[in-house]
Parts: sequence; C-alpha cells; structure tokens
Amino acid sequence: MNVLEIKGLTKKFGDFIAVDQLSLNIREGEIFGFLGANGAGKSTTINIISSLMPMTKGEVHVLGKNLTKFRKFAKQQIGMVPQEVAIYEDLTAYENVHFFAGLYGLRGSELRSRTEEALTFVGLSDKHKMYPKSFSGGMKRRLNIACAIAHRPKLIIMDEPTVGIDPQSRNYILNSVRKLNEMGSTILYTSHYMEEVEELCTRIAIIDHGKIIAEGTKAQLKAIITDQKDIGIEVQTAAHLEANKLREVAGVKSVEVKENIVHISSDAGVNNLNKIIQQFMAQGIEIRSVQASEPNLETVFLTLTGRSLRD
Amino acid sequence: MNVLRIALKEMKIVREPRMLVFMLATPVLLILILGTALSNAFNGSTTIGDIRVLYHNNGAEPALTEQWQAFMQEAERSSGMAFEQIEEGMDGGREVRNNQYTGYVEIDGQGIRYEGNSRNSMENGIVQGMLSAFADRYRLSAEAAKIDPEYESKPLVHDGGSYVLESSIQGARQPGSLDYFSIAVTTMIILYSALTAGGLIDSERKRNTAQRLLASPVTKAEIFAGKITGTLAINAVFVIIVVLISKYMFNAYWGENPIMVFLVLFTEILFALSLGLGISYVLKGNAAGAVIMVIIQLAAFFGGGYTPVASTTGIMREAATYSPLHWSNEALLQLIYSGSGSAAMHAMMLNIGFSILLLAVAMISMRRREGL
Repeated sequence: MNVLEIKGLTKKFGDFIAVDQLSLNIREGEIFGFLGANGAGKSTTINIISSLMPMTKGEVHVLGKNLTKFRKFAKQQIGMVPQEVAIYEDLTAYENVHFFAGLYGLRGSELRSRTEEALTFVGLSDKHKMYPKSFSGGMKRRLNIACAIAHRPKLIIMDEPTVGIDPQSRNYILNSVRKLNEMGSTILYTSHYMEEVEELCTRIAIIDHGKIIAEGTKAQLKAIITDQKDIGIEVQTAAHLEANKLREVAGVKSVEVKENIVHISSDAGVNNLNKIIQQFMAQGIEIRSVQASEPNLETVFLTLTGRSLRD
Repeated sequence: MNVLRIALKEMKIVREPRMLVFMLATPVLLILILGTALSNAFNGSTTIGDIRVLYHNNGAEPALTEQWQAFMQEAERSSGMAFEQIEEGMDGGREVRNNQYTGYVEIDGQGIRYEGNSRNSMENGIVQGMLSAFADRYRLSAEAAKIDPEYESKPLVHDGGSYVLESSIQGARQPGSLDYFSIAVTTMIILYSALTAGGLIDSERKRNTAQRLLASPVTKAEIFAGKITGTLAINAVFVIIVVLISKYMFNAYWGENPIMVFLVLFTEILFALSLGLGISYVLKGNAAGAVIMVIIQLAAFFGGGYTPVASTTGIMREAATYSPLHWSNEALLQLIYSGSGSAAMHAMMLNIGFSILLLAVAMISMRRREGL
C-alpha cells in the first residue's frame, strides 16, 4: 500500500517555480530518501505534504485519502520533524512531548505512556524534567524527534534532522530512524548529505530545480552510470596538478580535486589507469595511493546535474 | 479541548521571571511610588481666598437699601466678606476684571445686578449664592409687605440668624493618591500587555513551533483562540493579585462592587490583547511593537496614567476622551466613588466593541497568510 502518493505537484511563488510537476509514491515500510542540493525544492515539497503551505496544482494522497479534502485525517497520520528545532524552551522535555502529543487526540494514561515511550526512545527519559535551554544541540534535535513520534504516526517526515550536530548525536539519530522503521513507521527522509541517504534509505529520489530527475533504489540509481568507474588518487600535493591534461586521457569524463585526493570519473570500458598514472608522473606529482571505487550517489548527482550536492 | 490545551500551555509563561517582574512587581512599585510621591495633589481640601465685594447703591429703593445694609453686616460677620462702596470715578466692572474684587454689585430702582470675577470661581460662587439668597428674601419681604407693610423693612432674618446656613453632610468619598494610582497603574499595566500580545503569534514563528502546530490536526482558529484564552486568563490572574495587594497592603479603596470593577478590568485586558494582535497582523516586524508602544504611551499620558484627567484643561482634557485608559479609569472612579455603573457599562461596551473589531482584523489577516 502507498502511504504517500504525489501526482503532478506544483508550487509557484510568483513567477518562481519551486516544485515543478513532481510525482512520487512512497510504499508502506520504506525509508524514502529525498536527496537534493539546497534550494532544490525538498523543503517546499515537505511543507506541502505537512499542510504547512498550499500547493499551486497537483494532488497529494495520504493513506489513500486526498490531502485537501481529508486534511485532519492526513495530519493525524503524519509526524513532522522540522529542519529547525521546534520546541518550547519554557516547558520541560516531558511537557513538550506531552503537549504536542495531546494535539493528536491522545488523552489520559495513553498520553502519559506515549510521552514516556517517546522520551525513552530518543534517550531523554532521565532528563524529562529538565528544560531544553540546558540541552546540547544534539539533545534538542532528539527532543525534536520525540515530539513528532509520540502519537505513533504512519508517516514520519524528517527534514534534514542531522544538520549542525555532533557525530555522536548524528549516529544516535540515524539509529533511531532505523529503529522507527523496524517498528513499522514509513519514513520520508530529506537531506543533502549523500552518505546518510545512502546508508539509511531503501529508495531514493533525487530532486533538482523542483523536479525529480532520478528515482529508485541505490543500485538502480548507480546503474544509471554503470558505464562509469571512479578512481581516487591520493597525492602528496595537488597544488600544481594540471587537471585539463588529465581530462585529455582517453575515457576520462571528469576530474575533481578535493584536498589531496583527485577523483576521476572514467568510462568503465576503457582501460586507462596506466595512462592516468603516467600523466601524474609526467607532471611530477607524487602518488600516495590509488583506489578504484563504485560510483556513489554524489557521482550520480554530479552526472545528472553537473553540480555536486554541496554546491 | 485543543483550545484549552493550548491555553494551559500559554499560561505556563508565568515561569518566566521577566513576566513576573513586568506584571506584578512593576505595578506594585509604581502604585507605591506615585501614590506616596504625589499625595499632595489629593489632600481633598482647598483654600478660599479673601472675598471683597464692591458695591454701588443709588438709594432709589429705601426698603432695599435697608435690607442691603443688614445683609452686608450679616455677611461680614458670618462669612468674613468685605464690602466696599464704589468711589467717584471708579468703574466697578473694570475693577472686577482687573482682579481687585471678587464681584461688583449694583443696586438701583431696577433691582440688583452682579458682575463676578470668573478667575476666582470658588469665591465668586459663594458671593453669587449669598446674593441669590438675599434676593429671594427681599422678594419674599416685598410680597409680605403687600399684606402687612411692617414686613417691608424687615430683613426676615431672626436674631442670631444668618444668610449662611451651615449643615453638615456626609460628603462623597474622594480618592486619595494611593486610591487613584491603584486604579490608574492597574489600568495602565493592562494596556502595556498589548506589547506582549503583539508578540503572541510572532513568538511561535520565531521558535519554529508554528510549523509544528500547523502540521498537527489543530486549526488556525483553535491556535488563535487557545493563545488568546490563555493570555487573557493569566493577565486576569495578575490583575486580581495587583488589586488585592493594593487593597490589603496599601489600603487602596476599590469600592463595594468588586464584580463590576473586575468586569471593567477584564474587558480592558481583552481590548489590550486585541490591540496587540490586531496591530501585529497589520504591521509586520518591529514596526508593530513601535506603534503599539506609541499608542500605549499616548493613551497613558492623556488618559490619566500619571495625573488625574480632572486636573487637566483644554486640549489635554479633550484628548483624554479618546484614550482607552481614560474611559476605563473614569468608569472605575465613578463606580467606586459615586456608585454609578453607567460609565462602567459605557467603558465595557467600548472595550468589547473595539476588541471584536481588532480581533476580526487579526483573524482575517491570519486566514489570508500562509502559516500563522
């Protein structure tokens, strides 16, 4: 069953088209990744699904019911983890979760137990009487999640939940996402961090300029560029590297330098590793290591859009 | 139920120390400071200056002349007034206008004419009153003389009597300085809550909680109603506490009709909240706060927040009629000190009427916006 169906979704702000005829389906039990650079239209799409803004055109169905006609029903099924932390500093952690869960119709002992359950899930049960102003950024993000899951929504929308937090909290959140999915929630996860999406998501849509430019499993997306191989060459220093000469080597499609690692995308069918290494030697650049890797989503994105995810 | 939930959440703002200072400590201190520092303006008594009356009697009416002489003697004895006959070449009216005399009396065959000095209203009023009493008695004796000529020259004042009848009455209670400023500061602080009301919805946007609220199955109207209800309730609690503190700690007099007093105050709270919300939806950002502050300051200045309106004149008096603070203060003063409820009803109707208008503006603006 499709938890979410979007058909021809369009959103315009004046003449600017933020979301352009976007269509996708999310099946029950999936962790669906929404990958795109900043300004691609991810948050706008999320806001429309969450009823935070109206659509210009199109249809959205949540659990088979039209979002516009059955808005209250749709809202009941969705748990929203917004990009910015959305909690009340003058309420304790417990009171925050209790308040928001109560808005979804939970009452009495059920409300209390779900509140405690949510706080335990995010690892804040021992801090339930504390105020968020004393929390770290990571703890606030975890409370942010707790406020969204207490009412056990069918669809959890997580809009860039790991932005600006420490690695430990980030790992905690990623593990929490997996656990939520194991417990039966369908998750729509947006991010511009390719590694997270690759690690977590069962199916991924890549969005650019308000359109979905590719959709499928990781394997399906990478298959778009199966005719490509990625070579990573670590050098002593890339300061004097003449990348254009590398591009002249037969089969080489793109050269990108990040610190002292030169990433080369090349035709998979062309055996050009020797010539590439020779080019480095001719330029007097010392090679430390060579690694051939599978194409990743970053590469897919770069191939499809001509830009990297973090541009 | 969601409205109540949101309202209860809103009331937890009392945990903020700044709120407690603003809503409790500030008004209590202001009442104490203004009430003690400005107590001289409310001592309830006034000083009467010397009363000097200039007169001219052409003697055309001998009976009147005789009565007049008796009147002057009696008035000088009982009231300390001084009567002086006009001298040759003096212009009585000019003397009065030059503030040399309280009034000028001219007695001739036509009767008695009086010109008073309007600058000394208290003294002038006393002379007028006494002359009116004299004129009434002279007319009475004239009528009596038609029946018995003996009465023509009688002053109709028995021995030991006086033209001034002193009677002791229980005068209307007047507010002292603490009484006045308990009312004025309470109503002024209520009006200041328009500033916090202006930030009621904006605070949700700044905290990003507006998104979470709107993503939940709660309508905009419920959010709006919940926040207003909660803020109204907490402000009402603070006002009750301030009134009780002023009553029991400062012995301020709040009258014998506390229900009506609190009704006036509560409708003013509703007005203040509506003012803040209405303006914050019409004007965005910091402009709303600035405009609200200007309105509050003007309303407080002209409306009796710092000095009683009764002691003002001219344009100040005129401007007071447009101040929401004035109509609430006036309503409370009349309710408490005159027992009159008509001004209170008037004030409540104005507060509720403007609240409905401003809330309608806010709700219409909110419905048109994406988000809160």
